[in-house]
Amino acid sequence: MIKDKLNTFLDKVEKPARYVGGELNSTEKTDAQVRFALCFPDVYEIGMSHLGSRILYNVLNSREDTICERAYAPWPDMEKQMRENGVPAYSLENFRPLKKFDIVGFSLLYEMCYTNILTMLELADIPLRADQRGEDIPLVVCGGPCACNPEPIAPFIDLFMIGDGEELIGELVDVYKECKVKGVSRKETLLAMAEIKGVYVPAFYSPVYDDTGAFVSMDKIESHAPDMIERRVVKDLDAAQFLGKPIVPYLSIVHDRVAIELFRGCTRGCRFCQAGFIYRPVRERKRETLLKQADEILSCTGYDEVSLFSLSSGDYSEIHQLVPEIINSYRDKRVSISLPSLRIDAFLKEDMEQMQSVRKAGLTFAPEAGTQRLRDVINKGVTEEDLLRNMKDAFESGWTGVKLYFMLGLPTETDEDLLGIADLARKVSAVYYSVPKEKRGKGLRITVSVSSFVPKPFTPFQWAPQNTKEEIIRKQHLLKDALRGLRGVEYAYHAPDVSVLEAVMARGDRRIADVIENAYRKGARFDSWDEHFKLEIWDEAFAEAKVDPAYYANRDRSLDEALPWEHVDMLVTKDYLKREYHNALEETCTRDCRKGCNGCFGGKCADYCKI
Amino acid sequence: MRIIARFKKDDSVRLVSHLDVQRLFQRAFRRADLPVAYSNGFNPHQQLSFATALTVGATSSAEWLDIKMDKDISADEFTERVNAALPKGFRIAEAACAEDKYPSLSAVMAAAEYAIVLRFAEAVNAEDISNAIEKLLSSSIIVLKKTKAGMKNVDIRPMVYKMELTGTHGAECSLALAGRLDAAGGLNADLLLGALKGILGCDYTYSLHREAIYSVDGAFMPKAPEGYTVQA
Repeated sequence: MIKDKLNTFLDKVEKPARYVGGELNSTEKTDAQVRFALCFPDVYEIGMSHLGSRILYNVLNSREDTICERAYAPWPDMEKQMRENGVPAYSLENFRPLKKFDIVGFSLLYEMCYTNILTMLELADIPLRADQRGEDIPLVVCGGPCACNPEPIAPFIDLFMIGDGEELIGELVDVYKECKVKGVSRKETLLAMAEIKGVYVPAFYSPVYDDTGAFVSMDKIESHAPDMIERRVVKDLDAAQFLGKPIVPYLSIVHDRVAIELFRGCTRGCRFCQAGFIYRPVRERKRETLLKQADEILSCTGYDEVSLFSLSSGDYSEIHQLVPEIINSYRDKRVSISLPSLRIDAFLKEDMEQMQSVRKAGLTFAPEAGTQRLRDVINKGVTEEDLLRNMKDAFESGWTGVKLYFMLGLPTETDEDLLGIADLARKVSAVYYSVPKEKRGKGLRITVSVSSFVPKPFTPFQWAPQNTKEEIIRKQHLLKDALRGLRGVEYAYHAPDVSVLEAVMARGDRRIADVIENAYRKGARFDSWDEHFKLEIWDEAFAEAKVDPAYYANRDRSLDEALPWEHVDMLVTKDYLKREYHNALEETCTRDCRKGCNGCFGGKCADYCKI
Repeated sequence: MRIIARFKKDDSVRLVSHLDVQRLFQRAFRRADLPVAYSNGFNPHQQLSFATALTVGATSSAEWLDIKMDKDISADEFTERVNAALPKGFRIAEAACAEDKYPSLSAVMAAAEYAIVLRFAEAVNAEDISNAIEKLLSSSIIVLKKTKAGMKNVDIRPMVYKMELTGTHGAECSLALAGRLDAAGGLNADLLLGALKGILGCDYTYSLHREAIYSVDGAFMPKAPEGYTVQA
């Protein structure tokens, strides 16, 4: 039925292969006792590149009692056709309407995808608000990094899963199945699920605000619900399920390669980085496990590139064995290797040369700030010397393209710090020209990419104000002028509006949900895409909801203020975050926790951390 | 050595673009662990080529590819291993070994044949369709075509070798179409069917299926029948 209708208009939409499934290794099941729709609130090429949901796809489909099917946000041209032709949101595997699933789950990777969740729910004919859903409507659940502050979308969601999903999602399905067999109500099902560690049911809690509108506390209105929702941690990552036989898309997707996850978590403690705090502690996979996974996935997908994925791949304890082993095993098969998230202090020249011997990819480095002072504030333990030495090695090995990532608007930033970025670019350029002509490649390209800092919950900067839009623009131009005329340097930056909105969503409370729904009703879609982001819509949406974005984005929060996400326990303690905020303001670095425990869990969960 | 093979693309994968088809064959060859030859250089790629692209949305029983091997492999083994590795909807129908000096497929191809189904809003009269086709073919067919130099009026009539009604079933009718297809260009069925709409004066949707690609020599792809040459 859905398929027949699709056939009448799919040739009119851009990239129709996004909407028909049928890819190699997608599940062959047609039905099971529990139907789980794994949804990604962005377009197919982005969603298919997300490792986490692909792991969950395997975890769920390896259960006999469960079928997991995928759905992605339709691009606006497709959404229009679906509405005009009466096609509901459906799954790619069996063209099943999302409404016919038991559980509809969304991955939350970034805040700017929230309106797409509403698009998918509305197209599925599922009421947008959880309190309007009847007994026959699927449970709408969410997980992923943004679930750590669930409040801005809490009214739309029946249940959040906090933390690692590999084990949690199976427990959720187990409880669901029991409830389904018993035939208990939606509310009783949610009550039973709330007993699972890591599950948050927003309807069981109610935020309290004082007369001034300040958030005071989160009141529990269901006595059986837990006081605190403790994040789930897969203790033994090496034993955890991974991708199985991953789907091979027809379309070219963003990360079109085999990804193996070296470890989860990061020991560095960069103070701006949410992932660095919410995925602790570091848990590594064994080298043998990784080699075996790479081998299995290469042979069942036919990919020719392996990406060594993690938050800081150079920190993997056996990286200098792993890289050559992979290169040597697949040299004859022409498999190349890529290392995202490289830190400039963790990598050696030999590794770079080896990477180049197979295929030459671009090099990216992230000094994040232009001066040592500001790098100390953010605890980015990288020195200028490290960077320049690595640049020299790279240029001598023939690399000519390098991307440098920075942030603008970091706490305590001065114009001097900002001009330090230009200074650093100038020095990198000088290093290139200092390498003898016969040794270096031709055509230097230094891309200086500068994003605007967004303070995130569960980081030491969760109290810090974001720069105002005007201040961001002023700084962007200051840097632009300073970079003018530098040989081989390209400057990339973005309009600040999306960053400001992201800051509101990231540290928003439940009142932000009205803003999101208003914006959605006015046509906000794919807000993370420049071509779709419409500032006027959001301005109106805030005004109508009587919400001041500056209250959330630009206010300097006091350390004793109640924060709307504190009923979620991400394991790193508030005391630790406060201490780190102080250290930042004192320009004091905190050691890498591989060099000694800094006590971020406050003595709890001692068995989680194996370092 | 080279392997030249014919493959089919069925309805379930009709929206997979030519670029995606190229990539999926490369991956299928890797999964099948075939001794495929690669180009040299920093970015080695498989020495794989196709006779021609198929328009997105069309199905086919006659797409042709040409892949170079580092080691000899029998055509049967090639077919078996590739078919075991291909995603559903794609299938190698025949394969043969070719010598390295044999020209490229695009250099020897000459014509293509299509089966077309037109779908109207209501039942159609066979005679009306036949008359419209006859009228369409009776003189030059000027269509607006996108070229490198911009939009241009061209006469596509000389590239049409055959166009006839093969049946009607209610609101559907089927056509057989043959036209030029060689390295220098080919008949664009979409443009031709657009021109037919103009003569019929009513709207329809259609599906396009490639039945055959013909060659000048008949060595691998079948030899073009008599009369399948550009009309003066």
